[in-house]
Amino acid sequence: MEFSEHIKTANVEDVVLRQPLHPPSRGTLCITGHHLLFSDREEGSSRQLLLLLRNIDAVEKRISGSSGTITIKCKDMRVLHLDIPGMEQCLNIAHSIETLSCLDGVAAMYPFFYRPSDLSLQNQWGLSSTEKYYSQMKELHNRWRLSSVNRDYSVCPSYPPAVIIPQNTDDDMLKKVAKFRQGGRFPALCYYHRKNGMVILRSSQPLTGANRKRCREDEHLLQAVIDGSDKGYIIDTRSSQQAQQARMTGGGFESKSSYSHWKRLHRQMERGKALQESLIKLVEACGDESHNMDRWLSKLENSKWLSHVQTALSTAGLLAECVERDGHSVLVHGSEGTDSTLLISTLAQLIMDPCCRTLEGFLALLEREWVQAGHPFQQRCAHFAYSHARLQQESPVFLLMLDCVWQLWRQFPLALGFSEALLLRLATEAYASDYGTFLCNSHQERCALGVTENTHCLFQALLRPTERDYYSNPLYEPTELAIWPSVHPQSLQLWRGFFLRWTQQARQLEEAQEEIRNMVIEWGKMALS
Amino acid sequence: MEFAELIKTPRVDGVVLHRPFMPTVEGTLCLTGHHLILSSRQDNTEELWLLHSNIDSIEKRFVGSLGTIIVKCKDLRVIQLDIPGMEECLNIASSIEALSTLDSVSLMYPFFYRPMFEVIEDGWNSFLPEDAFKDLESMTDEWRLSDVNKDFSVCPSYPPLVAVPKDIDDDTLRKAATFRHSGRFPVLSYYHKKNGMVMMRSGQPLTGTNGRRCKEDEKLINATLRPGKRGYIIDTRTINVAQQAKARGGGFESEANYPQWRRIHKALERSNVLQESLIKLVEACNDQSHSMDRWLSKLEASSWQTHVKEILTTACLAAQCIDREGASVLVHGTEGTDSTLQVTSLAQIILDPACRTIRGFQGLVEREWLQAGHPFQQRCAQSAYSNSKPRQESPVFLLFLDCVWQILRQFPCSFEFSESFLVLLFEHAYASQFGTFLGNSTAERTRLSLPEKTVSLWSWVNRPQELERLTNPLYEANSLVIWPSVAPQSLLLWEGVFLRWNRSSRCLDEAYEEMVHIIEYNKELQNKVNSLRRQLAQLETEDPLLQTP
Repeated sequence: MEFSEHIKTANVEDVVLRQPLHPPSRGTLCITGHHLLFSDREEGSSRQLLLLLRNIDAVEKRISGSSGTITIKCKDMRVLHLDIPGMEQCLNIAHSIETLSCLDGVAAMYPFFYRPSDLSLQNQWGLSSTEKYYSQMKELHNRWRLSSVNRDYSVCPSYPPAVIIPQNTDDDMLKKVAKFRQGGRFPALCYYHRKNGMVILRSSQPLTGANRKRCREDEHLLQAVIDGSDKGYIIDTRSSQQAQQARMTGGGFESKSSYSHWKRLHRQMERGKALQESLIKLVEACGDESHNMDRWLSKLENSKWLSHVQTALSTAGLLAECVERDGHSVLVHGSEGTDSTLLISTLAQLIMDPCCRTLEGFLALLEREWVQAGHPFQQRCAHFAYSHARLQQESPVFLLMLDCVWQLWRQFPLALGFSEALLLRLATEAYASDYGTFLCNSHQERCALGVTENTHCLFQALLRPTERDYYSNPLYEPTELAIWPSVHPQSLQLWRGFFLRWTQQARQLEEAQEEIRNMVIEWGKMALS
Repeated sequence: MEFAELIKTPRVDGVVLHRPFMPTVEGTLCLTGHHLILSSRQDNTEELWLLHSNIDSIEKRFVGSLGTIIVKCKDLRVIQLDIPGMEECLNIASSIEALSTLDSVSLMYPFFYRPMFEVIEDGWNSFLPEDAFKDLESMTDEWRLSDVNKDFSVCPSYPPLVAVPKDIDDDTLRKAATFRHSGRFPVLSYYHKKNGMVMMRSGQPLTGTNGRRCKEDEKLINATLRPGKRGYIIDTRTINVAQQAKARGGGFESEANYPQWRRIHKALERSNVLQESLIKLVEACNDQSHSMDRWLSKLEASSWQTHVKEILTTACLAAQCIDREGASVLVHGTEGTDSTLQVTSLAQIILDPACRTIRGFQGLVEREWLQAGHPFQQRCAQSAYSNSKPRQESPVFLLFLDCVWQILRQFPCSFEFSESFLVLLFEHAYASQFGTFLGNSTAERTRLSLPEKTVSLWSWVNRPQELERLTNPLYEANSLVIWPSVAPQSLLLWEGVFLRWNRSSRCLDEAYEEMVHIIEYNKELQNKVNSLRRQLAQLETEDPLLQTP
């Protein structure tokens, strides 16, 4: 396919760009296969705007007389207006943006074309993998093994080729267990708690169905996990009613009689469409210009976003408590095990494990728990809150996770090694990126398209010396302790840095943070000289 | 009266104290005329010294012979005392109740307090009207300082000296005063150096139902206008409320009599509405339920944030009229002692960089609140927990501080003082060992001989060790007007006051310390670099060989 087919008008002169935090400017607008480029023609200024078309969530056009205005709503919450002379040109431009911003073919996406001079495709791709994690965790080796049963993705299409499972579970058993779990997502280890040897496993729901099917191998695998201990916990991210209902559609939960040593805890977490709708309402509230305090607070409440943040953090807190305080291993799942499951296992690891709180540690955690664990980024992040397209499988689970991490960051400003800027960057990159990291829905898909060979890795790029300073927390002081977040409603705040990012006052706060960052960088230099 | 009469049981042993974020302490409880003291007689535990006047309400509970007293403070802290012995507990409770609600001002602690520090500068003389006028004189000669109110007979709530237009004589002022609520004739509040525009404040005009007018009042305020220029009157009431005020003898400036002035009505809530809002807000903040919806509903239902927004919006409006429109402004509501002062003082924070320094802000509080006659004693008699019937209590000053905090948060580098200064002012306005916030006006303060008999809060604050604690490490003088965002999304709940005792701020405090440390270290290094550069330059001039070719 040729991009040029979709570009009828590539260049327009005399366009006026209006964007938040900048005065309007006049210049030339260009549309390329992947970008919208605006360059200022004003004298003495050389401002440019380079916008990835993939970042555009919705386009609205208004024609009046012979000119038109295109309003572009981006996935990073920016809203831009372009006043374009000439009705036809305006319509052409709008049409090109609409088509090019939601092309389906992954192989034609920008990461496959992005070739910056300072990065080489030969560079190492990624930071962490199951194999690496396993080899680092020597303590694991006598009771756990690395299995390559999924090397051709036939057992579980959404799992990576290597998984960590109990030592005495052989691959044939795993194949049977996989048949008993939705999408083949059999229980696999995702975290080992060094302090007491307890672990977190994640999976999808068991396919017990209406007639309470059992699977001896599944029971056996879980029994092997708690071998030597009195019990384990299963945290089901659905209410017990939802879990009951799931049996009607072939799913289910681990019954007491078949899993007598496992205690099930149900926590209802919102998923899928409900989360997306919550985001849409929240974004709408944030853009509300009515200047009415009651209305703002009602809308904020109605969006339920902060309730979702609260539930996610408190469920993650529960998980961490089971492992750290209660000293038991835990299996986490909901239905598919690709969304809320990952959300709480990630947060629990941040709460308990100081290694996850460094810049590298956090990125490695995201790589293991989201990218490799099969969170379907492409489906979940296809659209942001402005899109007029019918909702499909979009859901801001990853964004919700980043919001929860921000709440942790705010409550423990010294404990995390990365800055708010990193969270903002990740939130943007998940929706539209120059890098290949968040492409596709699973390891298998990425492999088939040769993502690691043909695109650059975001996580590696973020760790380059030039970037590292910017994404580090100048106040960071590592602590070995668990950081237990307060989940009182009064303790949680709207993530203004993201949701009100393009308002004037966010800018002032950024400046203050910038100031501190510069000081730290400056003393680094002085110390060296 | 003797305090001893009110104290039946002066001390009880074996009392257990529970405080937010602190370990439980067991010790001896003592009651004195002004303090509740709990001491464990161990060196390493912190004692509790609580001013009775800081206690807003108490509740007692009994389980067998063990009594519990819950003490709710005006600074919103809640502490619990477990007292063995029912009689002791009842005695203590009734003593606290009596001692915390003493009416007589002259029995208040500031009259008994003797400073344990050296007074470097007597705060009572730090912000005299005549000194403020000297600054004004250096900028303009259009104003004079009138002593028409020297015996407080023209306006009981004004200070003896006020700044008025030069061409207006004292007789005119006296007549204008009879036409304004409580004699509060229009006086100068702020002079905008950049364009010579001014802000004035007053009480409402007493036009009454039959549209009375007063030539002297018209002359007075017109004297502040430049030829051919118009001014704005910002009335902090809605047009309806202002209309209704006529029936009770009040009113507003009609277009017919004040043709050079444009009136703008704003709806700022006052007295009991604000007090109720505070009560609801504090109740919401203390809600222990884990429901996010409930918290947000309650926060909304308290309307506190709405009040913050309305006040800030009105202050921005006043500042805009002066700075952008180049027009003079007169602000008033009904009495001119509450919402009027919120607007005039916040407008100055926005417009005048001097008000954003520690000393400048003290001066602002002195001029626009204390000397301008905000009735602190009435307004701050009770805080959010009191069970007694509200009389004239109203958190007007606290709202002002909240608004300042919002601006401070939006412009973190533009203020010389930090949030802790605002919290300190809130605490002292409600209960203090200093005399600054006693009384309702300069007249009352003079009658009570406060400057002679009590210590000023400013005497304590303006010492290097205190100033250091209150200084904002990020401060960089900003000479510009700062326009805060008043969009609801931009305004936050002031956690430093309202959630101070509900959630531990330890981690945030540590981060703050770390930031201060970074900034100090940075300064140190900068100095080192500068001195090395100087040395290098010196060496280069002394030894030509070292010079780079």
